[in-house]
Amino acid sequence: MSRGRVGAYALWQLRDYLKDRGVPTLIVATLSAYLGLSPILERLPRLGDPVPARLLQRFGTPEAVYAARMAEFNFMFLRSILGTLVFLGALFAMNGIVANDRKQGFFRFLFAKPVSPSRYYGQAFFVHWVGYMMVMALLGVLYGFVVWPVLTQPLLLVIALMFVAYSGIAFLLSAAARWDWMSLVAVSILATFAWSRFGESTHPLAKLLYLLPPLHRSDEVYAAVSGTPILAAGPPPAIPWPILGWLAGYGVACYLAGLVVLRHRRLAIV
Amino acid sequence: MIAFDHVGKRYRSLFGREVRALDDFTIELHAGEVFGVAGPNGAGKSTLISLLLGYLGPTEGSIRIAGLDPRRYVEAHGISYLSELVSIQPAWRTVEALKRYALLAGVPARSRDARVEQVIEWMGLGEHRAKRVKQLSKGNLQRLGLAQALLCEERVIVLDEPTHGLDPVWTQRFRDVVTALRREDRVILIASHNLDELARLADRVGIMDHGRLQRVVDVRAGTEQGGEDRTPYRIAIARGGELVTTVFPGARAIGQGEYQLDGLTLDAVNAGLAALIARGALVTMVYPVHSMLEQQFREAVGIGEGTT
Repeated sequence: MSRGRVGAYALWQLRDYLKDRGVPTLIVATLSAYLGLSPILERLPRLGDPVPARLLQRFGTPEAVYAARMAEFNFMFLRSILGTLVFLGALFAMNGIVANDRKQGFFRFLFAKPVSPSRYYGQAFFVHWVGYMMVMALLGVLYGFVVWPVLTQPLLLVIALMFVAYSGIAFLLSAAARWDWMSLVAVSILATFAWSRFGESTHPLAKLLYLLPPLHRSDEVYAAVSGTPILAAGPPPAIPWPILGWLAGYGVACYLAGLVVLRHRRLAIV
Repeated sequence: MIAFDHVGKRYRSLFGREVRALDDFTIELHAGEVFGVAGPNGAGKSTLISLLLGYLGPTEGSIRIAGLDPRRYVEAHGISYLSELVSIQPAWRTVEALKRYALLAGVPARSRDARVEQVIEWMGLGEHRAKRVKQLSKGNLQRLGLAQALLCEERVIVLDEPTHGLDPVWTQRFRDVVTALRREDRVILIASHNLDELARLADRVGIMDHGRLQRVVDVRAGTEQGGEDRTPYRIAIARGGELVTTVFPGARAIGQGEYQLDGLTLDAVNAGLAALIARGALVTMVYPVHSMLEQQFREAVGIGEGTT
């Protein structure tokens, strides 16, 4: 039975996340959002804009037309930025989560205490997840004040699960390798390329693709959760839960594998 | 309490070359003992400590601490550990770092703040408590490293080059700390290049070279059996230098009124000095060329008298 108060240490881990990673995530996300917004800013609807008769007929009042136009604006914005934001957020949250302590030697004092590395870093993963969701929620609220409310439960759920998809892989790479952020980018590019190039192949070896993360399907998830181009005809797309489950499940499997690596891989670098 | 049983550690380089960092290391460390580890650079001391803390796994043999695998022991009980290079997040403040380590060490909440204040006081870090780790001098950082190791009353204490970077005042205080830490149910392991320090603090000293335990010197027994010790001594004479070779026929003049006496027991040196003084010589200094431990060290690692 371990004596160290790892659970209580979560507050320090959350503080570290918010200070060292949350603030940079917020800054980079705000800049990315601004860059994503600027090309479409001129299409930002205004309440006094003339309302075409067909839209007025469809939505009833000018306010309802305005709301529909803003929802469409949100759709365009989310489609352009969501994937990047989630990927960067996960990268910022997980980069070096284990590898930094190993490289810098910080593990030496930490784990001479009655503390298990798998417990410590396993908890850090969850704490960073919570911290990341706080940052994303804050960004969503800010965007809602400046532009139009965007936060919905499905959107938050998709962000949370896509974070797990990326972060699980990053966690495993950080536990096992030294150059974890480069490895994550390399794995993401490799997986996306391999799935797009050989995904349709009937060759028996193509089954090996299932070892790679299904990141090529992430865009379908982001597209579905971004909303509906309301002004266009057609029903709103449903969130592809099986794909989201596959992506998040892959992340969870990697997270668990990362814990096993931490349990068995020695911390010192020789 | 701690048993190394034929422990070996081999590394394989990128190109397949095998490096033996530790080879057939066997020893038992007993509760109540202060055990020193000495050896030249690359002798395997750091590998030994990493194995003891479970940061590395042995490739041969086994290590047991109170009957447990090192990692299991550490995760259950903790070890007070000061590493050679004190690596603490540079952005943390001194007091913050200690509070974090106290939490992880399992110091109970009701006494945590008091314990942190106690080690700050003990290590003289009061004026540096609000400084960031990156702002601390080498000596203060070393004291912070020692402070975090002393937060909890552990049964195993491992100190790797503990006086590295400390000034003479704190080096002396460190010796007092180690003396205060001695306990019947505790093992203290100190790895150091400083043989004088080990001679003062340790009960036994293991001398390592090329990954092997070359010999174990019982420092206390050596001190008690000083009469048999044939360490070379030097004497400095202000008056009556011409008498030295008559009293000590083998004495060699080494300049500036100093003479080296080789191959004599401490008793013979004392008797000769008494004779010299009785004949009117004025002896201003007597000192061993090497301490007993240093002599053993030189023999164990193959350093001759003419070598430095």
